[in-house]
Amino acid sequence: MWWKILIFTAMSAVIVAAFLTHSPMNPAVSLGDADVYRIFYFHVPQAWVAALAFVTSMVFSIQFLRTRNMDYDTKAVLAARLGLVFSILATVTGSIFARMTWGEFWNWSEIREVSIFILLIIYGAYFALRSALPNAETKATLSAVLSILFAVSAVFLIFILPRLYADYSQHPSDSVVDNEGQITMGATVAVIFFGSLAVFTALFAWIYNLSLRLARVADKNLPGYSK
Amino acid sequence: MSRARILMSRENRLSGILFAPEKKVPSRSWPLMKGRNTRLPSNSVSWAAKVLAVTRKDITAEFRTRYAINSILMFALVTLTVISVALGISTPDSDLMAALFWVILFFASMSGLAQVFIREEESGTALILKLSTDGLVIFFGKLIFNLLLLTILSILIVPLFIILLKVTPQNWAIFLVGLILGDIGLAGATTIIAAIVAKATVKGTLFTVLSFPILLPLLLAVIEITKVAFGGGGFADISLPLQVLIPYDVVMVTISVMLFDFVWRQ
Repeated sequence: MWWKILIFTAMSAVIVAAFLTHSPMNPAVSLGDADVYRIFYFHVPQAWVAALAFVTSMVFSIQFLRTRNMDYDTKAVLAARLGLVFSILATVTGSIFARMTWGEFWNWSEIREVSIFILLIIYGAYFALRSALPNAETKATLSAVLSILFAVSAVFLIFILPRLYADYSQHPSDSVVDNEGQITMGATVAVIFFGSLAVFTALFAWIYNLSLRLARVADKNLPGYSK
Repeated sequence: MSRARILMSRENRLSGILFAPEKKVPSRSWPLMKGRNTRLPSNSVSWAAKVLAVTRKDITAEFRTRYAINSILMFALVTLTVISVALGISTPDSDLMAALFWVILFFASMSGLAQVFIREEESGTALILKLSTDGLVIFFGKLIFNLLLLTILSILIVPLFIILLKVTPQNWAIFLVGLILGDIGLAGATTIIAAIVAKATVKGTLFTVLSFPILLPLLLAVIEITKVAFGGGGFADISLPLQVLIPYDVVMVTISVMLFDFVWRQ
């Protein structure tokens, strides 16, 4: 219960702070209209949660293959499902930001746009496979194998895309961290941004925990219930 | 005799190679096993021979129906024709041609590479194969068969591409390096996906859907290499994509080997 109240309060605080403050994010980097980049407070944490959910899902997939415990499969699926929701949110907000800043909704030379799109495709493929497999154990094993293969591919994409397409990107890559790895944000912006990051992570953990408990209850009460 | 039974009896010809022949254990070293008919894993048939036996079996099965090779080649021909008719007399730049070349190769291979495992599941021979030998032998046998299919596809599609689309690689060495490493990666990454898809209810479209996110790093790298080959650059220009492509091929095959048993024993 206190979780719920805490997340609600903190999320409200982040939203209010994001819209009330007028602190420039980073004087050295031009991001266009000051009002447009407020999406940064919500878009980046969404993308972060989408990636976090993917890693969580993959770790539980490995755990499933090691232990053959169906509970890990439930955990992996629920993480993937939440990840899908957050990656859709991140894609939409990123696309709106791109339209306001660069004048077009989508641009394939953007590294980050390609990588979030890949994450979407990966989640889509994962659920497509699950819906096409007959029984629960086959479903669990094969989708676990697939998510490990996807993780390997994602590692390559993280290293291949920025290197092959380094010259084309317009994405504000040095607004948060500069090329030397130093945080370049102003103090106010940093507080709100990291606060938002923490709240979104907590939100993910809370929804995840809730859906996991729900899935376990459903599993116990309805023998024929299929996930 | 049903079709499945005929196929199974044909599989039995393989058993001489795939099943390890019996080997008597010297009774001195195994006193408790004295007089018993004990079996130990035999080394008399080498691992490579077993792999090749699986490949040979697949080639024989393929030549009975010619389903995979026909669909791959027809698909490649159709896409090639569509592209060359659509382009007409216009001559696009070499960057676009490199991308189109790999689009043709990617989609053509998607239409046939899954057959190696789908055939086993549909004819009911997967179980026999499971009993005959271990997963690793099956994996490499199928991988070599898929590589053969891709080689045939490449040999036929490259001259047609050059003739119909009027583009010639300026640097053949780079072009061939890209093609060979690309084919190895294509077969290496999709063989395990084919095994996964064979278990599913909708096979054809699912194979492409699952393969695409895994093949994307490969496609981006080989398209870069082919661009350089068509544009006439040197080996210095492809060092970056090669740094991605070679580890990709190695890592994908390694991971597939590690995970294959989970899929195959399912």
